[in-house]
Parts: sequence; C-alpha cells; structure tokens
Amino acid sequence: MGDAMTSLPALLLLADGRFPVGGHAHSAGIEAAISDGRIADLDDIEAFVAGRLHTTGLSEAALAAATVWRLGMPGVAVAEVLKAVDAAAEARLPVAPLRAASRRLGRQLIRVAGSCWPDPILFELAGVHPDGAHQPVALGGVAVAAGLDSHQAAVLTLHHAVTTPIQAAIKIAGFDPFALAAMTVRFTESIRRCAEVACAAASGPLASLPCAAGPLVEIAAIRHESVAHRLFAT
Amino acid sequence: MPPHLTGSDHLHESRRPLIAPPRVSRSLRVGIGGPVGTGKTELVSCLCRVFAGELSMAVVTNDIFTKEDAAILERKGVLDPQRIVAVQTGCCPHTAIRDDISENLDAIERLEAAFAPQLVILESGGDNLTATFSRALVDVQIFVIDVAGGDKIPRKGGPGITTSDLLVINKIDLAHLVGSDLAVMDRDARAGRGDLPTVFVSLRNDPAATPIAAWVRSQLRDRSQARKPAAHV
Repeated sequence: MGDAMTSLPALLLLADGRFPVGGHAHSAGIEAAISDGRIADLDDIEAFVAGRLHTTGLSEAALAAATVWRLGMPGVAVAEVLKAVDAAAEARLPVAPLRAASRRLGRQLIRVAGSCWPDPILFELAGVHPDGAHQPVALGGVAVAAGLDSHQAAVLTLHHAVTTPIQAAIKIAGFDPFALAAMTVRFTESIRRCAEVACAAASGPLASLPCAAGPLVEIAAIRHESVAHRLFAT
Repeated sequence: MPPHLTGSDHLHESRRPLIAPPRVSRSLRVGIGGPVGTGKTELVSCLCRVFAGELSMAVVTNDIFTKEDAAILERKGVLDPQRIVAVQTGCCPHTAIRDDISENLDAIERLEAAFAPQLVILESGGDNLTATFSRALVDVQIFVIDVAGGDKIPRKGGPGITTSDLLVINKIDLAHLVGSDLAVMDRDARAGRGDLPTVFVSLRNDPAATPIAAWVRSQLRDRSQARKPAAHV
C-alpha cells in the first residue's frame, strides 16, 4: 500500500484534467442529457452527477479498487487477475459505444502511464485486450504502478465520475463555473461513502462487485453516437 | 546540490520508462491547421484527389462538430471511407492536437496498423492563430489562412503563422473583392517566418493544390533520402 505522502504527487497528477489521457473528449453522458432537454439548470446537473456517482461511478470505483487489491496479493498471477477484472468490467457495460469508449480510455491511460512509471504491470495491462483494458482496470493497474492504494484508486475514479460531466456542462451550455466548482465540493461526502462501499466490495468475489447503472444514460449513449452536431465522443 | 534533488527518488537511468512511444509504421504525418473556413477540408480533399493512385493515404479529421469534415470527404469520394476517421475534441480543438494528443495519436496508429499508409493527414478543427500541433503527433505541419480574414493576419503572428513548416494563404482569387493586399501579406509572412516557405493559392482555381502537393512530395522525398544511409550502415 502506498505511503500517503509519497503517492500524493502521483494521485494529483492522475486527478488532473490536464493529464493527457483523452478525457477532454468525453462528457460522461451529460451532452446527450442536455441536448435531450433533461438538464436545464444547476439542480438538474447536480441530480445527474449524483446519479452518475452512485451508479456507474460506484461500479467503476469498485472495479478499480478490486484491481489494486488483487494485484497487491502475494504471488499474484498479474495477467490472469487483469483479464478476470476486465471481464467483470465488460459485463457491467451493456452498451456498445460505452464499451468501446471504456477500452479506448483504458488504452490511452496505459499509453501515457507507460511513459511515466516503469512498472511491468503496464506491459501486462497492454496485453489484456487488443483494444485496450477497460478504463477502471487500466486505472487500477496504473494506480499500482504509481504507488497508490485501492482506496486512492476508488476516490480517483469517483472524482473523475463527478468532474467529467461537470467540466463538460461548463463547455456545452456555459453554466457558472464557480457554482459548479462549489457543486464538486458538495460531492465530497458522497465520494467518501461510495469509496467505502467500493473498497469493502473490492476484496470479495468479482461477481459481487457493485453493478449499478443508469439505463437512460446508456440508451442515450447509443443515440448520441449518431448525432451529427455533438461535441463530445460520449 | 539541494537536498531535495539528491534523494534516491530522483529519476536516473534505471528508472527510465519501460514502454517506448509506439510507432507502428513510418508514414509521413502531416498536420493541417488554421482558422475556421480558410480551406483546410478543401485542401485535404484536393490532396486526396491528387495523390489517389500515387500514394497510400489515410486522414484523421477533428471537426469541432465531429463528423462534418469526415462526411464532406466521404461525400466527395476522394478516399475510401475506411481510411477516414473522425475524432471528437470536446470543444477543445487545440487540446486535441497539442496538450492531450491521445485521441488523435490513437486514431493515427490504428490507421497505420490497418493500412500502412505512406501519408497520413491530420486535419485540426478550425481554431485561432495560437493553435499548433504537438511534435509527438505530426512530422510536419501546414497552417492555412485566407485573404478574406484581412491582409493583417500574417502580421498578427502566432505560432501557426510563424513556426508552421508551410504557410498556405488561400482564396487569393478573392483578394481584390475584400481589399486584401497580397504584397503586404507576403512581406509580413516573410518577416515573421524567416526562411520557412509560404505559398499563395486559390484552391478553387487550382484544385490540384499544385504548390502544396509539390511541397508534400518534397517532404516525402526528404524522408526517404534521410532513411537511405541508415539502411546501408
């Protein structure tokens, strides 16, 4: 497990929206929600993000934490663990465009991490799937390479679950960035609780990891792929 | 040396990254950038037509509204649609070509793996004068402006104008209609670019994009000549 002071710079780097993993091209479903008229004001955004955090965010955080926890076991077979968690991630992504985006973000994270941290786990990660490991699995593996523990990996995943749609909302519809910064802070307690749930599940069987999802977001993701005037990939 | 630089954590030889940046093929990667509406997509489609049958090509587009430019190229039928990939940039065309090149690099590498093209063109979304391509993404870059933006544009400068490998000033057929003085643009471009080349063109009147196609051919020649000695070592 990572020493907090040693791992903090790596955690901050991975949490930074400027870290080049291609996240800027994704809105986590909020572009479709705004263009479908399901989001009109700040309250709608807060409800959307809360939904995202407690469903997809929690599932992804548990997958990331489970990856870190398993890779920390003595004598672990790294490739087998990564493939098993990747299959668990695949099972939690029923919609094709989101599956593709998850693998794409995973391989982009592995790419940049490979030039940052010299760890053989990143080689194993690159071999998980020809299109890339799913994003939470990649994040778990990269977290280990960067010296983070499973709790930090979970919090990092949840942080992105909150900030990705919020940052996109600012760009799409010009919502007040100060109000949205304050909203991000209001999710602190929710992130803490979701991270606890994710970490509690991480050491259990993969089949028992949280698998909450937002069906409307998933349906909208299918339609979003063919929308002509979209700004974000998802 | 200050104590914080002498610790064992400081990067040294043994901590070099294990994964080198992947380079599947050795295509020439050409970035085409420039403000909205100056003729970037038109230039890409001209080059596709000119090089059809001469070179194996692939194109990545970064239109702000995603698939618009890719759709134009597909409609024009200048290239097999499988060789055209549209990348989304989430409101940030400059980020996608400079600060976070992940999506574009990913698209280029997939095209290179699938088709081993000799030439890959990466068209940026229309942006402002500060946009430039990362050197990790393209080998050379072309910046396209036009006379309709006013003859002051080269004087305004910015890295696209002052540092691009080729500056294209398009729509010279409109110069007299919009009151742009080509001599002024030429003078200011020379002042800002030193020895870097600038070409004046009207892609409408010269759909073969003659001076730009010639420049791309010279880049391809330079690359193949630069690689020859290494092959005989």
